[in-house]
Amino acid sequence: MARDIVADILLGLASLVVLGASVGVAVMPGAYAKLHFVTPAALVAPVLVTLAVLVQAGLSQNSGETVLALVFLVVASPFLSHATIRAIRVREQGDWRENKR
Amino acid sequence: MTTAFLIAAIVMLVAMVPPGVVLCRGDLPASVVAYEFITSVAVMVLALLAQAFRRPSEFEFPVLLAVLLFGSGLVFVRVVERWL
Repeated sequence: MARDIVADILLGLASLVVLGASVGVAVMPGAYAKLHFVTPAALVAPVLVTLAVLVQAGLSQNSGETVLALVFLVVASPFLSHATIRAIRVREQGDWRENKR
Repeated sequence: MTTAFLIAAIVMLVAMVPPGVVLCRGDLPASVVAYEFITSVAVMVLALLAQAFRRPSEFEFPVLLAVLLFGSGLVFVRVVERWL
């Protein structure tokens, strides 16, 4: 019972984080500002979902696969965000470095 | 079936709608950002659905999707950087 309540709270927090980030991506002007709101959905929410899965199901093969996917998401998303910022900057300025064309 | 996981998955699916609009109607950089948001949430949705329905075959989808979307995302932003 206590496990269910803790998992529900964690899932509720994850859903709120994703909803808020979704609104942020929709309303913020420009790609740089929008990219700030990808981070909560790609880092904070997966951690909360991972904790919810572990609390609810404990350690098993199935929950291990879920945790693996979410941990990979947490590790990979900063690299992808960095690559995205770099690509946008290159598109706009010709080079990602400052004052370089 | 665990209802909380299913509800969270549905909420996250709904949360994909505003970035979906940005993806379809925004300029290219904004669309790329919206695409990244949607892919991150899609991995979580699949993980939540697998946990909700507890079918063993579904637990592999989020792992595969996380790996494939990371690789494809990097390729996509490189294409955006150089050719689009």
